[in-house]
Amino acid sequence: MRRSGILIFYAMTAALAIFLAAAPPARADQPRRVTITGEVIDSWCYLSEIMWATGSAHHQCAIWCARGGVPVGILGEDEQVYIVLRVEDDTDVIGNHGIMRIQTNEVVVEGDLYERDNIKYLAIDTIIDDHGIVNYSHEQFDIQPFGD
Amino acid sequence: MTKSKLSFIAAALVIALFALPQVPLAADSWNLPDEEEVRFDAKVTDVLCVLSGDCPPDCGAGKRVLGLLKEDGELVLPIKNDGSFTGAVTDLLPYCGTVVTADGLFTVNYGVKTFAVQFLRPLDGKWGRTNGFVKQWAAERGLEAKDKKARRWFRNDETILEIVGEQGKLGLKDKGIEP
Repeated sequence: MRRSGILIFYAMTAALAIFLAAAPPARADQPRRVTITGEVIDSWCYLSEIMWATGSAHHQCAIWCARGGVPVGILGEDEQVYIVLRVEDDTDVIGNHGIMRIQTNEVVVEGDLYERDNIKYLAIDTIIDDHGIVNYSHEQFDIQPFGD
Repeated sequence: MTKSKLSFIAAALVIALFALPQVPLAADSWNLPDEEEVRFDAKVTDVLCVLSGDCPPDCGAGKRVLGLLKEDGELVLPIKNDGSFTGAVTDLLPYCGTVVTADGLFTVNYGVKTFAVQFLRPLDGKWGRTNGFVKQWAAERGLEAKDKKARRWFRNDETILEIVGEQGKLGLKDKGIEP
Protein backbone atom coordinates (compact mmCIF):
# COMPACT_ATOMS: atom_id res chain seq x y z
CA MET A 1 0.00 0.00 0.00
CA ARG A 2 2.73 2.37 1.01
CA ARG A 3 4.75 1.37 -2.05
CA SER A 4 1.82 1.93 -4.43
CA GLY A 5 1.29 5.38 -2.89
CA ILE A 6 4.88 6.30 -3.63
CA LEU A 7 4.49 5.02 -7.22
CA ILE A 8 1.38 7.14 -7.68
CA PHE A 9 3.23 10.16 -6.31
CA TYR A 10 6.08 9.62 -8.78
CA ALA A 11 3.65 9.09 -11.65
CA MET A 12 1.79 12.31 -10.84
CA THR A 13 5.04 14.25 -10.52
CA ALA A 14 6.21 12.90 -13.88
CA ALA A 15 2.87 13.78 -15.50
CA LEU A 16 3.04 17.29 -14.09
CA ALA A 17 6.60 17.70 -15.37
CA ILE A 18 5.58 16.55 -18.86
CA PHE A 19 2.59 18.91 -18.83
CA LEU A 20 4.70 21.88 -17.82
CA ALA A 21 7.35 21.04 -20.40
CA ALA A 22 4.79 20.73 -23.17
CA ALA A 23 2.81 23.85 -22.27
CA PRO A 24 3.63 26.85 -24.47
CA PRO A 25 5.42 29.71 -22.74
CA ALA A 26 3.30 32.66 -21.76
CA ARG A 27 3.12 35.27 -24.56
CA ALA A 28 5.43 38.20 -23.99
CA ASP A 29 2.89 40.60 -25.39
CA GLN A 30 -0.35 39.88 -23.59
CA PRO A 31 -2.61 42.93 -23.91
CA ARG A 32 -4.21 44.74 -21.02
CA ARG A 33 -7.70 46.19 -21.28
CA VAL A 34 -7.60 49.96 -20.84
CA THR A 35 -9.66 53.11 -21.14
CA ILE A 36 -7.57 56.13 -22.14
CA THR A 37 -8.51 59.79 -22.24
CA GLY A 38 -6.13 61.99 -24.19
CA GLU A 39 -5.25 64.12 -27.17
CA VAL A 40 -4.69 62.63 -30.62
CA ILE A 41 -1.14 63.68 -31.50
CA ASP A 42 1.60 63.39 -34.06
CA SER A 43 4.02 61.06 -32.30
CA TRP A 44 7.19 62.36 -33.98
CA CYS A 45 6.83 66.07 -33.28
CA TYR A 46 5.82 65.40 -29.69
CA LEU A 47 8.55 62.87 -28.85
CA SER A 48 11.31 64.72 -30.71
CA GLU A 49 10.30 68.10 -29.29
CA ILE A 50 11.30 69.78 -32.54
CA MET A 51 8.41 72.20 -32.03
CA TRP A 52 5.40 72.74 -29.78
CA ALA A 53 3.42 69.67 -30.71
CA THR A 54 0.08 69.67 -28.92
CA GLY A 55 -3.16 71.56 -29.22
CA SER A 56 -4.52 73.92 -31.86
CA ALA A 57 -1.07 75.44 -32.52
CA HIS A 58 0.06 72.14 -33.98
CA HIS A 59 -3.19 70.98 -35.57
CA GLN A 60 -2.22 71.61 -39.19
CA CYS A 61 1.20 70.00 -38.73
CA ALA A 62 -0.37 66.97 -37.06
CA ILE A 63 -2.50 66.51 -40.18
CA TRP A 64 0.59 66.87 -42.39
CA CYS A 65 2.46 64.21 -40.44
CA ALA A 66 -0.47 61.79 -40.27
CA ARG A 67 -0.87 62.09 -44.05
CA GLY A 68 2.89 61.63 -44.44
CA GLY A 69 2.79 58.33 -42.60
CA VAL A 70 4.10 59.25 -39.17
CA PRO A 71 2.34 57.03 -36.62
CA VAL A 72 -0.47 58.73 -34.75
CA GLY A 73 -0.46 58.64 -30.98
CA ILE A 74 -2.64 59.54 -28.05
CA LEU A 75 -1.12 61.67 -25.32
CA GLY A 76 -2.96 60.39 -22.28
CA GLU A 77 -3.99 62.35 -19.22
CA ASP A 78 -1.32 60.27 -17.53
CA GLU A 79 1.24 62.00 -19.83
CA GLN A 80 2.04 58.68 -21.50
CA VAL A 81 2.23 58.33 -25.28
CA TYR A 82 0.18 55.54 -26.83
CA ILE A 83 0.98 54.59 -30.42
CA VAL A 84 -2.23 53.73 -32.27
CA LEU A 85 -2.18 50.44 -34.20
CA ARG A 86 -5.89 49.96 -34.84
CA VAL A 87 -9.07 52.03 -34.64
CA GLU A 88 -12.15 49.84 -34.26
CA ASP A 89 -11.95 47.32 -37.13
CA ASP A 90 -9.53 49.38 -39.17
CA THR A 91 -5.87 48.40 -39.00
CA ASP A 92 -5.02 50.77 -41.88
CA VAL A 93 -3.90 53.53 -39.54
CA ILE A 94 -1.07 54.98 -41.66
CA GLY A 95 -2.29 57.96 -43.66
CA ASN A 96 -5.84 57.19 -42.53
CA HIS A 97 -8.17 60.03 -43.53
CA GLY A 98 -10.58 59.36 -40.66
CA ILE A 99 -7.77 59.62 -38.13
CA MET A 100 -6.48 62.77 -39.83
CA ARG A 101 -9.88 64.32 -39.19
CA ILE A 102 -9.67 63.74 -35.42
CA GLN A 103 -6.12 65.01 -34.99
CA THR A 104 -5.76 67.19 -31.88
CA ASN A 105 -9.16 66.14 -30.54
CA GLU A 106 -9.49 64.96 -26.98
CA VAL A 107 -10.91 61.46 -27.13
CA VAL A 108 -11.89 58.72 -24.74
CA VAL A 109 -11.02 55.30 -26.11
CA GLU A 110 -11.20 51.72 -24.94
CA GLY A 111 -8.99 48.96 -26.24
CA ASP A 112 -6.06 46.62 -25.81
CA LEU A 113 -2.75 47.97 -24.56
CA TYR A 114 0.47 46.20 -25.56
CA GLU A 115 3.79 47.22 -24.05
CA ARG A 116 7.06 46.37 -25.74
CA ASP A 117 10.51 47.87 -25.13
CA ASN A 118 9.00 50.73 -23.11
CA ILE A 119 6.62 51.72 -25.91
CA LYS A 120 2.87 51.60 -25.35
CA TYR A 121 0.83 50.42 -28.34
CA LEU A 122 -2.93 50.74 -28.45
CA ALA A 123 -5.42 48.69 -30.44
CA ILE A 124 -8.57 50.77 -30.04
CA ASP A 125 -11.86 48.91 -30.02
CA THR A 126 -14.16 51.84 -29.36
CA ILE A 127 -13.96 55.61 -29.42
CA ILE A 128 -16.26 56.17 -26.47
CA ASP A 129 -16.29 59.96 -26.71
CA ASP A 130 -14.80 62.75 -28.81
CA HIS A 131 -14.62 66.16 -27.13
CA GLY A 132 -13.10 67.92 -30.14
CA ILE A 133 -10.17 70.29 -29.67
CA VAL A 134 -9.96 71.52 -26.09
CA ASN A 135 -6.31 72.59 -26.06
CA TYR A 136 -6.14 76.15 -27.47
CA SER A 137 -2.35 76.25 -27.59
CA HIS A 138 -2.31 78.70 -30.53
CA GLU A 139 -3.03 81.47 -28.04
CA GLN A 140 0.50 80.95 -26.72
CA PHE A 141 2.39 79.33 -29.57
CA ASP A 142 0.72 80.66 -32.75
CA ILE A 143 0.86 78.11 -35.61
CA GLN A 144 3.62 75.50 -35.45
CA PRO A 145 5.80 75.39 -37.48
CA PHE A 146 6.43 78.40 -39.77
CA GLY A 147 3.65 80.53 -38.27
CA ASP A 148 1.21 79.85 -41.09
CA MET B 1 56.52 63.08 -55.50
CA THR B 2 57.44 60.01 -57.48
CA LYS B 3 55.32 58.69 -60.30
CA SER B 4 54.59 55.49 -58.35
CA LYS B 5 53.31 57.48 -55.35
CA LEU B 6 51.05 59.53 -57.60
CA SER B 7 49.70 56.35 -59.16
CA PHE B 8 49.03 54.91 -55.71
CA ILE B 9 47.13 58.03 -54.60
CA ALA B 10 45.12 58.09 -57.83
CA ALA B 11 44.22 54.43 -57.41
CA ALA B 12 43.20 55.01 -53.79
CA LEU B 13 40.95 57.92 -54.84
CA VAL B 14 39.29 55.82 -57.52
CA ILE B 15 38.63 53.04 -55.01
CA ALA B 16 37.25 55.54 -52.49
CA LEU B 17 34.92 57.08 -55.07
CA PHE B 18 33.75 53.63 -56.13
CA ALA B 19 33.04 52.66 -52.54
CA LEU B 20 31.26 55.93 -51.64
CA PRO B 21 27.72 54.87 -52.60
CA GLN B 22 28.10 51.75 -50.45
CA VAL B 23 29.17 53.56 -47.30
CA PRO B 24 27.00 56.58 -46.57
CA LEU B 25 28.10 59.24 -44.20
CA ALA B 26 27.08 58.57 -40.64
CA ALA B 27 23.59 59.64 -39.73
CA ASP B 28 23.06 63.38 -39.72
CA SER B 29 22.55 64.79 -36.25
CA TRP B 30 19.20 66.48 -35.71
CA ASN B 31 19.92 67.46 -32.10
CA LEU B 32 17.13 65.29 -30.79
CA PRO B 33 16.60 64.50 -27.11
CA ASP B 34 19.13 61.89 -25.95
CA GLU B 35 20.15 61.37 -29.56
CA GLU B 36 22.34 58.45 -30.63
CA GLU B 37 23.66 57.76 -34.12
CA VAL B 38 23.13 54.07 -34.85
CA ARG B 39 23.39 51.44 -37.54
CA PHE B 40 21.89 47.98 -37.04
CA ASP B 41 20.40 44.98 -38.82
CA ALA B 42 16.76 44.11 -38.22
CA LYS B 43 13.78 42.46 -39.85
CA VAL B 44 11.07 44.72 -41.24
CA THR B 45 7.86 43.69 -39.56
CA ASP B 46 4.27 44.69 -38.96
CA VAL B 47 4.04 45.83 -35.34
CA LEU B 48 0.44 44.69 -34.83
CA CYS B 49 1.43 41.29 -36.20
CA VAL B 50 4.30 40.95 -33.74
CA LEU B 51 2.17 42.00 -30.79
CA SER B 52 -1.18 40.40 -31.51
CA GLY B 53 -0.64 37.72 -34.15
CA ASP B 54 -2.84 39.55 -36.68
CA CYS B 55 -0.59 39.18 -39.70
CA PRO B 56 -1.62 40.06 -43.25
CA PRO B 57 0.83 38.64 -45.80
CA ASP B 58 2.18 41.97 -47.03
CA CYS B 59 2.75 43.84 -43.74
CA GLY B 60 -0.49 45.69 -44.41
CA ALA B 61 0.46 47.11 -47.81
CA GLY B 62 1.82 50.34 -46.36
CA LYS B 63 -1.19 51.10 -44.19
CA ARG B 64 0.06 49.62 -40.91
CA VAL B 65 2.68 50.74 -38.44
CA LEU B 66 5.94 48.97 -39.30
CA GLY B 67 8.77 48.11 -36.95
CA LEU B 68 12.33 46.80 -37.04
CA LEU B 69 12.74 43.58 -35.10
CA LYS B 70 16.34 43.05 -34.04
CA GLU B 71 17.90 39.65 -33.52
CA ASP B 72 18.04 40.26 -29.76
CA GLY B 73 14.25 40.68 -29.73
CA GLU B 74 14.10 44.46 -29.45
CA LEU B 75 11.27 45.93 -31.49
CA VAL B 76 12.46 49.31 -32.76
CA LEU B 77 9.80 51.83 -33.78
CA PRO B 78 10.92 53.86 -36.83
CA ILE B 79 8.54 56.81 -36.75
CA LYS B 80 10.40 59.18 -39.08
CA ASN B 81 12.28 59.03 -42.34
CA ASP B 82 14.54 61.62 -43.94
CA GLY B 83 11.79 63.68 -45.58
CA SER B 84 9.74 66.62 -44.36
CA PHE B 85 6.77 65.59 -42.21
CA THR B 86 6.97 61.99 -43.41
CA GLY B 87 7.23 58.58 -41.80
CA ALA B 88 9.22 55.55 -42.88
CA VAL B 89 6.54 53.04 -43.89
CA THR B 90 6.94 53.66 -47.63
CA ASP B 91 10.69 53.11 -47.31
CA LEU B 92 10.37 49.95 -45.23
CA LEU B 93 7.47 48.23 -46.98
CA PRO B 94 9.48 46.81 -49.93
CA TYR B 95 11.55 44.88 -47.36
CA CYS B 96 8.61 43.40 -45.43
CA GLY B 97 9.76 40.18 -43.76
CA THR B 98 13.40 40.61 -44.70
CA VAL B 99 16.45 41.82 -42.84
CA VAL B 100 17.78 45.28 -43.66
CA THR B 101 20.54 47.49 -42.37
CA ALA B 102 19.16 50.74 -41.02
CA ASP B 103 21.16 53.86 -40.28
CA GLY B 104 19.80 56.82 -38.39
CA LEU B 105 19.09 58.28 -34.98
CA PHE B 106 17.68 56.85 -31.81
CA THR B 107 16.02 59.41 -29.62
CA VAL B 108 14.73 58.84 -26.12
CA ASN B 109 12.21 61.20 -24.60
CA TYR B 110 9.55 60.73 -21.92
CA GLY B 111 11.04 57.25 -21.52
CA VAL B 112 10.14 56.31 -25.09
CA LYS B 113 12.86 55.30 -27.56
CA THR B 114 12.04 55.85 -31.22
CA PHE B 115 14.06 55.79 -34.41
CA ALA B 116 14.52 58.22 -37.28
CA VAL B 117 15.76 56.14 -40.19
CA GLN B 118 17.87 58.16 -42.62
CA PHE B 119 19.51 55.45 -44.72
CA LEU B 120 18.40 51.94 -45.54
CA ARG B 121 19.75 49.01 -47.49
CA PRO B 122 18.95 45.33 -47.95
CA LEU B 123 21.71 43.15 -46.53
CA ASP B 124 24.76 43.65 -48.74
CA GLY B 125 22.72 45.88 -51.04
CA LYS B 126 23.04 49.53 -51.94
CA TRP B 127 22.32 52.31 -49.52
CA GLY B 128 19.47 54.64 -50.19
CA ARG B 129 18.20 57.75 -48.42
CA THR B 130 14.77 57.35 -46.93
CA ASN B 131 12.54 59.72 -48.86
CA GLY B 132 10.09 57.15 -50.16
CA PHE B 133 6.92 59.03 -49.32
CA VAL B 134 7.81 62.12 -51.34
CA LYS B 135 9.06 60.02 -54.26
CA GLN B 136 5.78 58.12 -54.33
CA TRP B 137 3.70 61.28 -53.84
CA ALA B 138 5.51 62.95 -56.71
CA ALA B 139 5.30 59.93 -59.01
CA GLU B 140 1.55 59.66 -58.45
CA ARG B 141 1.26 63.21 -59.75
CA GLY B 142 3.70 62.90 -62.64
CA LEU B 143 6.35 64.93 -60.84
CA GLU B 144 9.97 64.47 -59.86
CA ALA B 145 10.71 64.29 -56.13
CA LYS B 146 12.95 67.34 -56.51
CA ASP B 147 10.10 69.39 -57.98
CA LYS B 148 9.21 72.36 -55.77
CA LYS B 149 5.61 71.20 -55.51
CA ALA B 150 6.75 67.78 -54.31
CA ARG B 151 9.26 69.20 -51.83
CA ARG B 152 6.39 71.20 -50.35
CA TRP B 153 3.99 68.28 -50.69
CA PHE B 154 2.35 69.07 -47.34
CA ARG B 155 1.19 72.42 -48.75
CA ASN B 156 -0.09 70.83 -51.95
CA ASP B 157 -1.60 67.50 -50.96
CA GLU B 158 -5.27 67.33 -51.96
CA THR B 159 -6.44 65.48 -48.83
CA ILE B 160 -4.64 67.89 -46.52
CA LEU B 161 -6.04 70.89 -48.36
CA GLU B 162 -9.54 69.44 -48.07
CA ILE B 163 -9.32 68.71 -44.33
CA VAL B 164 -7.52 71.92 -43.39
CA GLY B 165 -10.01 73.78 -45.58
CA GLU B 166 -12.89 72.29 -43.59
CA GLN B 167 -11.34 72.52 -40.12
CA GLY B 168 -9.03 75.52 -40.42
CA LYS B 169 -5.31 75.56 -39.62
CA LEU B 170 -6.11 75.57 -35.90
CA GLY B 171 -8.89 73.00 -36.22
CA LEU B 172 -11.31 75.48 -34.69
CA LYS B 173 -13.12 76.79 -37.74
CA ASP B 174 -16.41 75.33 -36.49
CA LYS B 175 -16.04 77.52 -33.40
CA GLY B 176 -15.38 80.59 -35.51
CA ILE B 177 -11.72 80.72 -34.49
CA GLU B 178 -9.24 81.14 -37.32
CA PRO B 179 -5.75 82.62 -37.51
